[in-house]
Amino acid sequence: MNALARIALVAGRELRAERRQPDGLVAALTFTAVLVLLESLVIGPAQARQPGVAAALFWIAMTFAAILATTRSFDRELEDDALDALLALPGGRDALFAGKVTALAGGLAIVAAGGGALSLVLLSLPVALPGHLALVTITGVVALPPVIVLDVLLALRLRARGVLVPILALPVLIPQLVAATQGAAAAMVGDANGSLAWSGLLIAFGLVYAVVGLTIVPATIE
Amino acid sequence: MNIAATLRGATIVLDDRAILRAIDLDIGPGLTIVRGSNGAGKTTLLRAIAGLVPLARGSRAVTTSLLSIGHRPQLLRGLSARENLRFFAAFRGVSPGGVDAALGSWGIAGPVARRPVETLSAGQRRRAALARIDSEGASLILLDEPFGELDDEATALLRGALGRLARRSAAVVVATHGHHELDGDAAQIVRL
Repeated sequence: MNALARIALVAGRELRAERRQPDGLVAALTFTAVLVLLESLVIGPAQARQPGVAAALFWIAMTFAAILATTRSFDRELEDDALDALLALPGGRDALFAGKVTALAGGLAIVAAGGGALSLVLLSLPVALPGHLALVTITGVVALPPVIVLDVLLALRLRARGVLVPILALPVLIPQLVAATQGAAAAMVGDANGSLAWSGLLIAFGLVYAVVGLTIVPATIE
Repeated sequence: MNIAATLRGATIVLDDRAILRAIDLDIGPGLTIVRGSNGAGKTTLLRAIAGLVPLARGSRAVTTSLLSIGHRPQLLRGLSARENLRFFAAFRGVSPGGVDAALGSWGIAGPVARRPVETLSAGQRRRAALARIDSEGASLILLDEPFGELDDEATALLRGALGRLARRSAAVVVATHGHHELDGDAAQIVRL
């Protein structure tokens, strides 16, 4: 069995388990929806409708939702030592990282669709370039998981991982958050070149951290 | 003798405490029993062979396909026993077609095999985990306290499985502080 098939197996297993016990996905969706609602209440609809503000809050919510879903996913792996069985398999460590990243991207796509639709409807957001906004959203959804899965894996055996993961992940995620926010805002105001450029940056960040994760996870995870 | 795994000068330090010091071990075909009192390091030794704990010093080599079953069932919650075992088999490149028969031979058949593992009893989960011995065909099998949570029937099934593994010259390592009746069948006994 080749590496891609093993990654697909781990991602499929993850999505199947999440479908049966959707704790992580439900928590992520609820968190994102609540933040969108609070945004319009706290800062008022006029401010919340500003492209930069709406995009920033959406991506901050997506980041925390991703951390929440990833942490829950690995909590499930630690119950009954299920993770050990995977790590003891040949190629298990690489497949674990890449499979979790793939599955998380799939889950985040659902959260992004739900949260994005809620933002657009609730705030009546004007979107000049819907296709470009969709592209930024997809590339953002792809760029976040490698960093978050990597950080959760590195902190996996630490007692304070619930606190450590956001502390470790958020500084590293600032470039992705800036790129996703600026790219989404550019798409909303009709700046096609801007949104494409930020999308390219998001893809680059996703690739870099995917390679970093695939390189260091097999050697570091216990 | 074909050596399935070796440890040379293996020292394992966990939480600043040396759990095992300078262990030399060759594991060949047949049954290796690891004995020791609680806290002696039996589980740590098996985890070291499986590559699940880092060696502070020394080296580890495994030359064949390895299956490690810990004292917990290692099955992912949310999935059924059947789905878990099919995943493991497919991951190894073994046909998952033998999973149902393997589970059935351990008394996990029909609806029980299709229920999420968290709804099974501890003994059923243990049986499902042990069915991996038959469904994955690994040549080096590490079993940590495998008789725990097993009733008399499942204990007999496990004894039968150990006999089958011996006949196909698999290397089996069993960590236990009891079950001295196994000693007569053992190729070597490691005392910690």
